[in-house]
Amino acid sequence: MNGYIKALILILVSLAILIPLASSSPDGLEKVAETLGVDESESSVTSLMSDYVVPGVENEYGSTLLAGVAGVFLVLGAALVLGKSMTKSIKQ
Amino acid sequence: MHIPDGFLSIIICVTMYVISMGFLIWSWKKTKNVYSSSVTPMLAVSSAFVFAAQMINFPIMLGTSGHLVGGTFLAVILGPYAAMFSMTIVLMMQALIFADGGLSTFGANVFNMAVIGGLSYFIVKLLTRKSNSNGRFFLSVFAASWISMLLGALACGLQLGFSPLFSEAGGVLATVPSILLWHIVIGLGEAVITATLLTQLKRMPSIVISNFANIGGGLN
Repeated sequence: MNGYIKALILILVSLAILIPLASSSPDGLEKVAETLGVDESESSVTSLMSDYVVPGVENEYGSTLLAGVAGVFLVLGAALVLGKSMTKSIKQ
Repeated sequence: MHIPDGFLSIIICVTMYVISMGFLIWSWKKTKNVYSSSVTPMLAVSSAFVFAAQMINFPIMLGTSGHLVGGTFLAVILGPYAAMFSMTIVLMMQALIFADGGLSTFGANVFNMAVIGGLSYFIVKLLTRKSNSNGRFFLSVFAASWISMLLGALACGLQLGFSPLFSEAGGVLATVPSILLWHIVIGLGEAVITATLLTQLKRMPSIVISNFANIGGGLN
């Protein structure tokens, strides 16, 4: 288990270091839509942390980092639950 | 490569939901019989890694960026079936919480990244055969990552091109070449990162990696 926790810490530290270095240019798909003159309509569904920003947190870096950390733990939790149910049939 | 809501026609959205669901049910049946519960922590941590990595866009050229998708990364670590679920979890959180990728287009995004990513396991397996050489492993993963990125982009281009929103712009004849062009380059980034990471992980004698490449049938 220790190794997994180390890996998780490494993921979070790397995220904190790399967020300010990440490119904010449009990605491949966004660029194609832009070039072909198709606009991404604002989604009618409001998400909790749209575009990886935590509402109410002014600092841009802090807001993205917080969203990222929240996302990492949400994914981790969901995968643990899934892993448990997926491998249920084999008792160890 | 996350398609937002509104880009695809309803028919394509529904079709892609059905196809992706079919692959996930197939995977579920495969995983149920093969995986022991010791895989769970690896599944969780590698999914978390892929979520974090997808947040970090790297610039490619002409004001365009790309990010790691991680399909082949997950496929090699978890095997093809659990990799599909792992990526589906990442995509689900992105769509539900972060508005990254739409809900109506979720089936398409699952197909383009989770299903194709998971299936790229078989490309790695085909290319490595029985070889245990690190060089050959690196090249096989490199090729599989790049191919899976291109196939995902091709699927994405077809889905967009057959949707009315893009018909005025030229349909598939416009969407497929332009999306492939960007992903030829983004795919190289994907391939370099995935092959480097996995080759390093393969060398580590730690417990974390002891299951590595045995899960899901084994690569060697």
